[in-house]
Amino acid sequence: MPLVVLHVVLALFGQALAPYPPTQFHIEDHQLEGPSLQFLLGTDQFGRDVLSRVMSGATSLISVAAAGALLGIVLGTVVGMSSGYKGGRTDEVVMRIMDAMMSFPSLLIALLVLTSLGPNPINIAGTIGIVFIAPVARVMRSSTLAVKSLEFVDAARLRGEPNVYIIFREILPNTLPVLAVEASVRFSYSILLVASLGFLGLGVQPPSSDWGLMISESRIFITGAPWVALAPAAAVASLVIGVNLLADGIKQARELPKREV
Amino acid sequence: MATTTTAMLEATMAADGADQPLLKVDGLSVTFFTPTGAVHAVRDASFEIKRGEVVGLVGESGCGKSTMAYAIMGYLPGEPEVGGAVYLDGQDMAELGPAELRALRGNRVAMVYQDPALALNPTMKVGSQILEAISEHLTLDAAQAAERMAELIESVGLPDPERIAESYPHQLSGGQQQRIVIAMALACDPDLLLMDEPTTGLDVTTEATILDLVADLKGRVNAGILYVSHNLGVVARIADRVVVMYAGQTVEEAPVRDLFKDPRHPYTVGLLSCVPKPVVDTGAVTRLQSIQGSVFPSAQSDPGMCLFADRCPMATDRCTSEAPTPASVSDSHESRCFYPDDVSTDLWDESVEREAPHENGKEPTLTVKGLHRVYGKWQRKYLFFGPKVKPPVRAVENVDFNVGAGRTVGIVGESGSGKSTVARSIVGLVPRDRGDLELRGEDLPPEADERNPDQKASLRMVFQNPTSSLNPKLPVRHNILRPLQKFTDMSASEREERACELLESVGLDASYMDRQPLQLSGGQQQRVALAAAFAGDPELIVADEPVSALDVSVQAQVLNLLEDHQREKGTSYVFISHDLGVVRYVSDEIVVLYAGHVAESGPAEDVLSTPSHPYTEALLSAAPVPDPDAIPTPIRLGGSVPKQHEQFKGCFFASRCPRKLGDVCDNTPPPMQTSPGSPTHEINCHIPLEELARLQDTQVATSA
Repeated sequence: MPLVVLHVVLALFGQALAPYPPTQFHIEDHQLEGPSLQFLLGTDQFGRDVLSRVMSGATSLISVAAAGALLGIVLGTVVGMSSGYKGGRTDEVVMRIMDAMMSFPSLLIALLVLTSLGPNPINIAGTIGIVFIAPVARVMRSSTLAVKSLEFVDAARLRGEPNVYIIFREILPNTLPVLAVEASVRFSYSILLVASLGFLGLGVQPPSSDWGLMISESRIFITGAPWVALAPAAAVASLVIGVNLLADGIKQARELPKREV
Repeated sequence: MATTTTAMLEATMAADGADQPLLKVDGLSVTFFTPTGAVHAVRDASFEIKRGEVVGLVGESGCGKSTMAYAIMGYLPGEPEVGGAVYLDGQDMAELGPAELRALRGNRVAMVYQDPALALNPTMKVGSQILEAISEHLTLDAAQAAERMAELIESVGLPDPERIAESYPHQLSGGQQQRIVIAMALACDPDLLLMDEPTTGLDVTTEATILDLVADLKGRVNAGILYVSHNLGVVARIADRVVVMYAGQTVEEAPVRDLFKDPRHPYTVGLLSCVPKPVVDTGAVTRLQSIQGSVFPSAQSDPGMCLFADRCPMATDRCTSEAPTPASVSDSHESRCFYPDDVSTDLWDESVEREAPHENGKEPTLTVKGLHRVYGKWQRKYLFFGPKVKPPVRAVENVDFNVGAGRTVGIVGESGSGKSTVARSIVGLVPRDRGDLELRGEDLPPEADERNPDQKASLRMVFQNPTSSLNPKLPVRHNILRPLQKFTDMSASEREERACELLESVGLDASYMDRQPLQLSGGQQQRVALAAAFAGDPELIVADEPVSALDVSVQAQVLNLLEDHQREKGTSYVFISHDLGVVRYVSDEIVVLYAGHVAESGPAEDVLSTPSHPYTEALLSAAPVPDPDAIPTPIRLGGSVPKQHEQFKGCFFASRCPRKLGDVCDNTPPPMQTSPGSPTHEINCHIPLEELARLQDTQVATSA
């Protein structure tokens, strides 16, 4: 939890807190310098402060990842719950389409879309959203099936409630614990995906800072100046771990009230 | 090997002396610590079991019955605080180490659980599971073990041990599974057998055969049996002594006859007066009683008063300021009450006369004609090709009945008889395949979605399990306001007002509006469900087992509410239950269903008296009666409702009928006979009615 809070703060205020502008060059005197008091995490090949770049890189990464994950969750929930509730042949067809979508590696789809549409944050988020529909839909479908068989759903049908009402007002609240866990898992995948895309050069374009991009740029100097790669890598890792811990926390908090007797 | 165990038994018995009770529970208390606080599951329980004795343990849910059984096994979840002591043959169980306890469990103390489907491993053949139990504690070679297994399977009344041993649990019926669980428990000739609601999940007909088995075991094995049950009728049938538990305390202990004839604790009297009177009695003239309030919460620590005082009709100041201790009423009779001598059997029975049922116009509210429903389609051998190999599942075939205005039609039958399908077809949750449904002469479309708002408002349903029929994430308010919004054109404030009225009409005040369903007890939840069903002023309410999931003490509240509402508004009911006592209490007419066919239908009194269809007779005979003096009725149905794929050539009941005539039953569908005295009483059977009446009357005469 503290890890996630730290990252969110970085994302919101990173740019302002950073000791130097992320694109400020200190080419003359500070190229690839090791960590020092002046530059806490050292500098890169253009003499830019790594700490500042990591801090400001958080904004683009987290916002794009969050937007992508959110889009995927919303679309996936709608598809999965509707399909699960409807059942029968519709469900069968929809789920086979989802299976087909899932059989492509997500990174591959993302690369395909982004190379044809061009890498900008909106496209990245949109691609992630689409990639995530299938796995989210599967999870939400199965929890919908479990809730659907309960009698209050029958009771709602007998009241003549429209399907949309039953799905979102009656069933959705009962799947929230699952949804919360799924959302945080998706968010951490989404971070990884955005960072990978950045690394492959399809994320935010230089010279703005992006963790994936920073790792990619620094890999030539990795033997000479490992700090340039380490700092963003550590940032990605800690964020993902933080989000996962948060997911576990949510899950435990949900389960705690159950009596064991 | 039998001799070695017998020798061991004799040795232990000789060492302990004859007087010593097999099991002595002395001031037992069990407290669990949960994140939400301490739970006092058992507070103060003391009783004894002797060898060869069946002790019944009864009480409402939440009284600590099951925890007690587990505490005796030394097998409690988590790390509870256990006070008092449990002695097995004089040995304090608390002094035993984990290894000794493990050796004890299954060997000297065995347990039979409520749900046999969960107690058996679905991936293992039942024979191997019994062998596992044998080899765990006895040192036998393979041949001896196999012999022992066959012996055990036969001893629990299952024919053909070889075939049974080779079956997987899912290939056996519920009754057979429970017999296997009992066989496993008996594997090592236990000294003490704990049975935790072993028949609760089973049909009455199966329950009766299992009870016969338990009664038979009592005579055969030299063990003490603790039989935990919420059903007084069951306990009356098999127990020698009965212990009543309330809120974790044993409140009364007595030999079975004394307890039922001369109870000395107000709670026991209350439980007894909650049960609908036995089916064979004439006329259900008095209203059912209920115990108001709910069980003293287990989260609360001991307040130093009688825990039952809040619900007791004879509570005095002394009861709320001082805690009673068990006091002897006579040699073998103890009661935890200050005034055991003032307790009388009519303590709760204000004997309110039931008003005669409405005789509204003859116009039927609902007509069901030739209702037919199957699930699935013919399956072919190779997906889309090949011969048809598996027919669709038959649920309901040609069911006809009418529900008059302001009348109640009860539908009874075992599980798998199609009761629920009938209910769900009527309200439109399961579309019918064929047949006609008419509401006030108007045709009803098969699916609920196709019906007009007026028809939806007129036909409401009450479900079996109130916990799942109320959305746990939405407050009570939602459940009542929403139907009002759908079915009436009231304004928001009118709806609010009406909702409060509805809640009051089911005995809950307006403060319940904003509660979450999970905060309510089962009885309160079901009352909210009733209020929701009453919301649109429906003409017909279909109630599918509305009281089956409730304790007897609150069952009566729900039944009385339904009755009052009917008298006031002239609502008709279709009331589905497997409990004949309840059905008889509420119904004007009864339809007996078997395997999707109507076996018998007609006015309630006529259906339940002779002559009746052999199936009805068997159901009546199996129903447990809360009276230890009731004559055990001899008719038992073996097996279970026939596989639903079979098509019947002759009579649907032929495969299990105790009065089967012969080939005619197998080959010709039974004729519908109406009795001369009552033209609406219909029996589908080959046996002439006079003959049925004669057979059934002699049956009663000989057993009496």
